[in-house]
Amino acid sequence: MNKQEFLARLREGLSGLPQDDVAERLTFYGEIIDDRVEDGLSEEAAAAEIGPVDEIVSQTIAEIPLPKLVRERVRPKRPMRAWEIALLATGSPLWLSLLIAALAVLLSLYIVIWAVILSLWAVEASFAVCSLGGAAAGLWLVCRGGGLPGLCMISAGLVLAGLSVFLFFGCRETTKGALLLTGRLARGTKSLLIRKESAQ
Amino acid sequence: MDIQLKRGLLDVCVLAAIKNEDSYGYKIIKDMKPYVELSESTLYTILKRLEAADMLTVRSAEHGGRLRKYYRITGAGLKRIEDFRDEWQEIMSIYQFVTREDERHE
Repeated sequence: MNKQEFLARLREGLSGLPQDDVAERLTFYGEIIDDRVEDGLSEEAAAAEIGPVDEIVSQTIAEIPLPKLVRERVRPKRPMRAWEIALLATGSPLWLSLLIAALAVLLSLYIVIWAVILSLWAVEASFAVCSLGGAAAGLWLVCRGGGLPGLCMISAGLVLAGLSVFLFFGCRETTKGALLLTGRLARGTKSLLIRKESAQ
Repeated sequence: MDIQLKRGLLDVCVLAAIKNEDSYGYKIIKDMKPYVELSESTLYTILKRLEAADMLTVRSAEHGGRLRKYYRITGAGLKRIEDFRDEWQEIMSIYQFVTREDERHE
């Protein structure tokens, strides 16, 4: 792949991004290839040293904030005609409600994921508090002469302490998983915007 | 290595690469290569971040019949390197403390 082919593939991959961003990145990679060629490499070797275009595209999409991508997506590429504006205004009850619904679905997905995480940590915290409370109440009962109920309370406290230790690791891993999942969700949404733009 | 730590280190490395003279993308990568491998896409992100933070400025100059972007460090960039050197002294003190503890148990 020579310089032109490399830049053409990169342009195609980044076509859904803001145009000023794309132009700046193409200039940057074009310069890097030229400098490598000046250093004695062929265009093909220079492009190969930079790495696969797909990787550059994925990394770039991950770096650009979602609101910036959405702004670029909804920005008209040319001045709108009067009938287009009229059609947009007339159809707004339909497309606006669909857009709000799509955003609400995305938002609810985020909320559901983090609500599960929050609930797990709440259970973990209640186990930890109950184990301490149980052990303390058990000791108090033993001191007050209630030997058997006191010992039962202490045992229950210890069982809860053990459970809270196990649950802590589970919560930690689940939180990590949720972070990964929300990251993928954001990347998926971005890729969707880019793909739709490229397909046009 | 922790991502935030690595990001901070790479920022300082790029600033150090343009500390003594204005430099350009490929030269920055070449100068850093003996110490740390840096991909072009990572360098681009770092340069944009440093430019947004006013730690470097960019100018285009003609070179061999084409335009090439040169990056120049600013006062804020030089201060970041100075701050890094101070921070590093602190980190080295902690490192020495940690490794001394290890030696006692060997």
